[in-house]
Amino acid sequence: MAMKGYAGKILRIDLTTGKSSTRQIDEKYARKYLGGQGFAVELVYHGVPKGTGALEPKNVLAMAGGTFDGYPVPTGGKTIFAGKSPATGTLAESVMGGSIGAELRHAGYDALEIAGKADEPSYIFIADERVEINDAKDLWGKDTRVVPEALKKRHGWDVKVACIGVAGEKLSRIACIDCDDRQAGRGGLGAVMGSKNLKAIVIRGTKDLVPAEPEKLLEIALRYQKIMEAAPSFIEDTKYGTGEFLGWVNKEKGVFPTRNWQEGVFNEREKIDPYYWATRYVTKNKACFACTKPCGKLFEVKSGKFKGVAIDGIEYETLYSLGGACGNADVESVARANELCDILGMDTISAGVTVGFAMELLQRGVISEKDAGMRLTWDNASDAVPRMIEMMGNRNGFGDVLADGVKEAAKKIGKGAERYAVHTKGMEPPAYDVRAMKGHGLSFMTSTRGACHLRAGFYAPELVGKFWRWEGIDRFSPVGKGAMVATMENFMCVYDSVGLCKFSRGFFLIDKLREVIEAVTGLKFTEEELLKIGERIHNMKGDFNAREGITRKDWLLPPRITEDPIPEGPSKGHKISTAEMNQMLDDYMAARKWSKEGVPSPEKLRELDIS
Amino acid sequence: MVIKMLVPYPDKCTGCRFCEMACSIAHENKVNHSDARLQVHRRNVRLDFPSVCTHCVSCGEDCCVLHCPVEAIKKTDDGQVYVNQEECTACGTCVEVCPFGVMRMEEKAFNCDLCGGDPTCVKFCPMGAIKYEEPKPEQYEAVKSLLAEEE
Repeated sequence: MAMKGYAGKILRIDLTTGKSSTRQIDEKYARKYLGGQGFAVELVYHGVPKGTGALEPKNVLAMAGGTFDGYPVPTGGKTIFAGKSPATGTLAESVMGGSIGAELRHAGYDALEIAGKADEPSYIFIADERVEINDAKDLWGKDTRVVPEALKKRHGWDVKVACIGVAGEKLSRIACIDCDDRQAGRGGLGAVMGSKNLKAIVIRGTKDLVPAEPEKLLEIALRYQKIMEAAPSFIEDTKYGTGEFLGWVNKEKGVFPTRNWQEGVFNEREKIDPYYWATRYVTKNKACFACTKPCGKLFEVKSGKFKGVAIDGIEYETLYSLGGACGNADVESVARANELCDILGMDTISAGVTVGFAMELLQRGVISEKDAGMRLTWDNASDAVPRMIEMMGNRNGFGDVLADGVKEAAKKIGKGAERYAVHTKGMEPPAYDVRAMKGHGLSFMTSTRGACHLRAGFYAPELVGKFWRWEGIDRFSPVGKGAMVATMENFMCVYDSVGLCKFSRGFFLIDKLREVIEAVTGLKFTEEELLKIGERIHNMKGDFNAREGITRKDWLLPPRITEDPIPEGPSKGHKISTAEMNQMLDDYMAARKWSKEGVPSPEKLRELDIS
Repeated sequence: MVIKMLVPYPDKCTGCRFCEMACSIAHENKVNHSDARLQVHRRNVRLDFPSVCTHCVSCGEDCCVLHCPVEAIKKTDDGQVYVNQEECTACGTCVEVCPFGVMRMEEKAFNCDLCGGDPTCVKFCPMGAIKYEEPKPEQYEAVKSLLAEEE
């Protein structure tokens, strides 16, 4: 009997040979990997040969809808991409709110594995059993708004389209994948698509998705929708988007990284705070697929220099990366830079942090205005930031130097530039100054895809002081953080496998996922079993990375975090010392039962049935 | 008696498509967007909108009731359009003429039944993009002109 909830098959496409094949998945597979990230990580872990370069044909790009994807579970419509990352050389996964994962499931597949490389620019077209690799020469060079429209006119308005922009074609290591104006931003997986000559994935699915308990599922959906609607975070997010807590992070906590992490407080914060701009620029609410708690905003600029800008944003992270991190207090300029990142196909976090890095290099005389080709100065940020983003996306001039993120840029520039490059494993960090959030700093190191706020989501426990199983968490202390971060990583792996938005993690704590999983799939799990699946997924990523030679020596925090204390504000004087860094890492490795160097032990892999 | 119908508000629609999925499960116990009695169009960054069955309040010449060659599509006394399943020959005329794209077809044609007066789509839309109220022709016309752009 077919499994309920799942589509039941995985589709593999080899772009080199043009052939595709499918395989069935069974209950054993579902219980082992759950869905979404679990499936995508499994495909990359087993599908990418050791030592494969991220931009070589043998790399795999996996895409999967979460267990809940396609069903009415509030905020449960996430699509997960994974592959070997060109930014970090690690196994990286990236999550988006676009509806292509659900469409894939309607076409009959829970996951898609893409290997090989097409001879010429191509796009994949899937309509249920029909799988085609079509010519995309006319789409090459086109942006992420033009491409889906052209493909919908060709294949019908019902198709879903995931595509890359010019940055992905030009193999920018910070290139993203776009669907429904939502992005799988992190890890440069857009460049993996580009390296395969793959411009877009187009899907139309007409098959039923059948839940185990339909009535129960609707009851759960309505119950959680009401719980969410009554929560203060619903009201704030719906009005102001994810940047709603920017003022608090900046002023009360002093951990809003500013001017390439030189400061933890952005003094011009008011000008980019959604409490200022929401009433002036937001014309409509936007949501990810299946989200009843919309934090997306349609931000439109109707006059002035940036007239015509229209984006789904500006999100908290982007207010930091293209705003505070670049000293840019002009919200219209931030919106324009955001739009350029979206249409050219670059991750806003990595792109913005890289521009901020170049601005500090100019401040310190490491590069000149002549090198940059413009006045790339803090006081000229409003003008310079969008211009530099456009140059990066197209690899023009100095933009070519910056187009691969801070680590590669520092290598190319030399002259001590790496001292100011803020990253771990080659990934530019998100919007939390971890010098005064030490467990979060640890999670930047342990994150399998490099500096990330969402592999462990540890900013929430440390900023609020409590979460889930813990209370009285002291963000300034390194003590006890190793085990907590490891547990939260397992937690988040479960989240990305069922495909729920991480902003819902306060509503659906792991125990509460059980009834939802059962209503969708009929499978019963205990809380510990779910966390075990999370642990398995994290260990697979860790084992992949160790296999590629990426170990503790490559995880360490940059000197900005270990040597330069935060100069002012509520977190003044804090940094993560080398001793603290090592203490937390030792604790973490012990909690994971990994070697001190960060290699999962054979016993642990056996225990988790990883081979 | 005040007649109530579904009324779409495009400016409130976030494009999440939760209503489609809930509608499909409520009627068919499974999710298939072609089973949903309404459709959400996620056109581009500026535009998302729901298209609902207006029960021919606003169809004009494209009314399915008028076009059905075997007169299998009827109206109840309170204005609700329904397909008599015995009489329907599945010719597809109604699906073709429906200006809102929400007359659906499996073995026979079917359309929105307003869930017996407690519409699922309305219940599951947190933004009020679909309301159950007195029909508003101007809202239907607005959706019609948005749909015409997809031709």
